[in-house]
Amino acid sequence: MRKLTHALISAVALCTVTASPAQANRLDVDLSKPDVRLDVSFKGSELLLFGAKDIDADIIVVVRGPDTDTSVRLKERVAGIWVNTDEVIFEDAPTFYALAATKPVDFILPKETLNRERIGTNHLNLKTVSTPENATEEDIQNFRDGLVRNMVAKELYSAQNAEVNVVGEQLFRTSLWFPANVHVGDYTVDTYLVKNNKIALRKTTDLQVHKVGVEAEVYDFAHQHALIYGLLAIVIAVVSGWAANAVFKKRG
Amino acid sequence: MQIYLPIAEVSVNIFLILGMGGGVGFLSGLFGVGGGFLMTPLLIFIGIPPAVAVATEANQIVASSVSGVLAHWKRGNVDIKMGVMLLVGGVIGSTFGVWLFTFLKTLGQVDLVIKLSYVIFLGVIGSLMFIESLNAMRKSKKAAPAKRRGHTGWQHSLPFKMRFRKSKLYISSILPIGVGIVVGILSAIMGVGGGFIMVPAMIYLLGMPTAVVVGTSLFQIIFVTANVTVLQAVNNFAVDVVLAMLLLFGAVIGAQFGAKAGAKLKGEQLRGLLALMVIGVCIKIGLDLTLTPDDFYTLGVAGGH
Repeated sequence: MRKLTHALISAVALCTVTASPAQANRLDVDLSKPDVRLDVSFKGSELLLFGAKDIDADIIVVVRGPDTDTSVRLKERVAGIWVNTDEVIFEDAPTFYALAATKPVDFILPKETLNRERIGTNHLNLKTVSTPENATEEDIQNFRDGLVRNMVAKELYSAQNAEVNVVGEQLFRTSLWFPANVHVGDYTVDTYLVKNNKIALRKTTDLQVHKVGVEAEVYDFAHQHALIYGLLAIVIAVVSGWAANAVFKKRG
Repeated sequence: MQIYLPIAEVSVNIFLILGMGGGVGFLSGLFGVGGGFLMTPLLIFIGIPPAVAVATEANQIVASSVSGVLAHWKRGNVDIKMGVMLLVGGVIGSTFGVWLFTFLKTLGQVDLVIKLSYVIFLGVIGSLMFIESLNAMRKSKKAAPAKRRGHTGWQHSLPFKMRFRKSKLYISSILPIGVGIVVGILSAIMGVGGGFIMVPAMIYLLGMPTAVVVGTSLFQIIFVTANVTVLQAVNNFAVDVVLAMLLLFGAVIGAQFGAKAGAKLKGEQLRGLLALMVIGVCIKIGLDLTLTPDDFYTLGVAGGH
């Protein structure tokens, strides 16, 4: 893996050397693999993002999974028992969010830009679909923080930005980690070139996270032929139960 | 060795799952309970999504119950007639229970109701069984084997009497059907086979001999859990066959050893041990409800119901 990384970087380096150094605002990005494949032995996957940039620019990398409406519930103590009370539903919260940058993003971009581009877990800018009555903005913010905290605990959000390593002056790379509980779907990898507290360039790379082989076949069959799948599950169970009994009867 | 599960969408250790299947299977063969009330919380604990845990567990119980029933069948300990009566009640009860479950979901408190019913039913049944088995153990030391419990009063005044030869009973068929209905409702709400409720009900309410109770309970559980498996596969796509196969491979073997071990123990000892386990799970769930959680905010899927 390390050898491959170096080979890739030197390949990119060659390209950069041949390019005109005077060219303004350049940003080239590629991933070590075009997709994340969930197979039987999937335990999480590391992907390498590498690229070339201007000499005096910073880099921010944001990976987002498919969005979905997400409900956050508050537990409160009622008569000694913890009970779900209030619920806030947030619209289109990402199911995955990872951030990497050459410097902490709050240092290199103003808050308005971070909010607009949804860079950083504090700037996801989540809108609510439904809120409890009499909820203040502060209450809602607590629910928002609760969502991020829960997702960070599942390793699906990154709490701080990971490092983007700059090699020499123009090359950069960072590793992206997809844990075993990652959701399938179409992901986007946004790479921002930041100069003078402004986004100078943005490159979006699509990344598919999908099941392959037996995993995909079982999943598709369970969804497309649910009744047959359920009946087969019972047949398997009955046969195994009977087989185990038959084996033990022979052995006495 | 890790394996990625296609429906649960998590990576788990194969040997951990096989071990859990074996352990719970052993208990299921020993006590005649499906083991769902132990396995479902265990699966959720190791990170399987709750919906997948409940659905897949139903599938696994089918296998361990078949294995267990066949073992009891050899010794003539399955009362088919009684089992069918319980099943009739079970179908009525679980259909109503599923409706009730959906209704509670719309109220948004289904998790709480599930946990509270676990605590209440496990607590009451566990304590009663434990006290009773202690008394029985004390008596059996002093005197000759305890007399069969005779029915007092109201049970005998009910109509539609039936003879259950295997159970050596002549009682109204309303009784087993009624037990089936109540167990069916509870098992639909609590997402388990319901053996831990049915076994004591058969012993104390119907007055069946303990030896026959276990086989007959397993016989009925096969059909109830098979029904749940199909419903879950069709409605929620939540049955993970890979997980189920790993669990049942361990469980069917465990159930065989359990049934053998059960033959060596006395009825009251069996009941005492089962009571202790039931009380243990009750305390665990009770603590979950009362201890301060790590995070006051929890996630759910919006629009899932």
